[in-house]
Amino acid sequence: MSSTAIRTPAARAARPGRPRQSAWIHRRDRRGLWFVIPFLVAFLLFMIAPLGYAIYTSLYTSRIIGGTVFSGAANYTTTFQSGEFWSGTVRVIIYAAIQIPVMLAIAFFFATIFDLGVAKWGRLFRTIFFIPFAVPAVVGAVMWAFLLEPQFGPFVHAANAVGFNNVDFFSTNLMLPSIIVIVIWEWTGYNMVILYTALKSVPRDVVEAAILDDTPLWKIIVRVKLPLVRPAIVLLVFLNLIGALQLFTEPLILQYFEPSAISVNYTPVLYIYNTGIAGAQYNLAAAAAVVLGLVIVVISVGSLAFRRSRGGVS
Amino acid sequence: MSSAATVKSHGQNAPAPGESPSGRGRWLRGGGGRRRRAARDNLPEDVIPIEMYGLKRGTTTVLTTVCVLFALFTLAPIAWIVINSTKTQANIFETFGFWFARPFALFHNFALLGQNVDGYGTYIQWLGNTALYAVLGGGGATALAAFAGYGFARFSFRGSRALFYLVITALLVPISAITLPLYLTYAKVHLINSIWGMILPSMVSPVGVYLMRVYVEVSVPRELIDAARLDGASELRIFFRLALPLMVPGLMTVLLLSIVGVWNNYFLPLIIFSQNRLYPLTVGIGLWAQRAQNSGNAELFPLVVIGGLVTIIPLIALFLVLQRYWRSGLLLGSIAN
Repeated sequence: MSSTAIRTPAARAARPGRPRQSAWIHRRDRRGLWFVIPFLVAFLLFMIAPLGYAIYTSLYTSRIIGGTVFSGAANYTTTFQSGEFWSGTVRVIIYAAIQIPVMLAIAFFFATIFDLGVAKWGRLFRTIFFIPFAVPAVVGAVMWAFLLEPQFGPFVHAANAVGFNNVDFFSTNLMLPSIIVIVIWEWTGYNMVILYTALKSVPRDVVEAAILDDTPLWKIIVRVKLPLVRPAIVLLVFLNLIGALQLFTEPLILQYFEPSAISVNYTPVLYIYNTGIAGAQYNLAAAAAVVLGLVIVVISVGSLAFRRSRGGVS
Repeated sequence: MSSAATVKSHGQNAPAPGESPSGRGRWLRGGGGRRRRAARDNLPEDVIPIEMYGLKRGTTTVLTTVCVLFALFTLAPIAWIVINSTKTQANIFETFGFWFARPFALFHNFALLGQNVDGYGTYIQWLGNTALYAVLGGGGATALAAFAGYGFARFSFRGSRALFYLVITALLVPISAITLPLYLTYAKVHLINSIWGMILPSMVSPVGVYLMRVYVEVSVPRELIDAARLDGASELRIFFRLALPLMVPGLMTVLLLSIVGVWNNYFLPLIIFSQNRLYPLTVGIGLWAQRAQNSGNAELFPLVVIGGLVTIIPLIALFLVLQRYWRSGLLLGSIAN
């Protein structure tokens, strides 16, 4: 598109052939549709159609006697009034409010170190930090469950050794922090790689100019580099938020190890899973899935709009 | 979008100034370039010497130590799973987690992966299933994204903008909000316990389409396509012979992300498969972990450990081999817009 201006003279020169030309454009354009159609078909069948069907299902109620009847917004009323759904939602919001800033701070710290080149073996460390991204959440959660296990887990022994006796990482109070540690382990490297690439594209002369002005290092990082990588940070917040609100695999696996600390409605997705699959209340679960989808869209779009509106740099 | 109006000969095929390999475009390209390689390898020529920031040499030692500590945190679970894959069930619980113990049971544990222990399913079969789902799902997602990304980037048909925005909007839809609806739909159309119920939705990757569109914009010059058209090449031939080779680095990134996505997927296969011969690794290992804890099948613990190890090895190997694709700026280029 940027080259349109350059081409315009050529287009003008070719004016005599215009009618034929526009027919050619038109035909070419329709051919473009053929490239897009395979994806669109799959997209309609496996994304739009199920969503539509879920909304449809959510408007009905199955009864043992009387079969399936139209019940309008009844399932939505139940979901909205359900303490089970909202307690899980509040929990994942608290979880996101802690996990995302902590993880991004760690990721930005290391990305800055590697960008400045102030630590040795930067390339090796970047590879190591990225490895957990390749570990499925199920396996990651299983490994951490063994490590944190209250009876024989090595981390409990370590805690005892440094003076914290009877630490139970799976207790009701420490379960959420444990999950936060696991997720930070899984995703910090990925976030760090993206921030590192963003920092690397900050023009060198900008930094050199700041150095020549005797700007202290922390000011270069906070006032020069941070604003320039702001778009990357905003999008990471956004992506991590969508992921955090869907928290499911880690608590489900930890529930296998410590059933008492994780309720069936610990997170909204666990609630949907347990209501829809285990409880076979499909209509109610469909309504909850629709509400969760809306909650996530509202929060993520809202956070994006909020971040954009603050400060002129973007 | 009047680019089609160009009447250009081969001689004018140089990229237009706006599309020259500078700025972000340079990062998105797969090609080498001294500066780019220097940035990647942290060669001194590209890094401002730390003395210029007013830092002392000792800072390097301190910060390297911090990196070592975080590396230990990162590698601890991996080390644990490697060490404990060599242990018997009793030793997993009774000996120190971060050191080896006799007897050396690695090969015994490994052999168990070929057996149907306690009737919950065979690991080897799950590994085959996972590979099948990942290759077909990830490969399909990449192929569809390549076609669609190219279509959106290089054609402007009626409604193309609206359709593209629809795809972008789909990025907002959380996967888990779509999973239960898929299950409900499958129950109607008999796709429960069908491998296609797993593979086909894995082929839908809005983020892949978005990445490919961005990639085509910077790496496949319009002039090249126009020239080929004037030579009478068909659109399909242009796509496969001209555009596709230029799209390879972008394709590799999308393929990598898609394969990892399918390999790690847990929620969808968990709810659509009730027969353990169809399980992927994630569901199988999850089931073992649950049974080992809650059903008294403690003999499954060594299987959970060795199974977990064998699950992560192919992916870690894949990432190490394909380093340049996740290190390149593509991920950034895609999200920083």
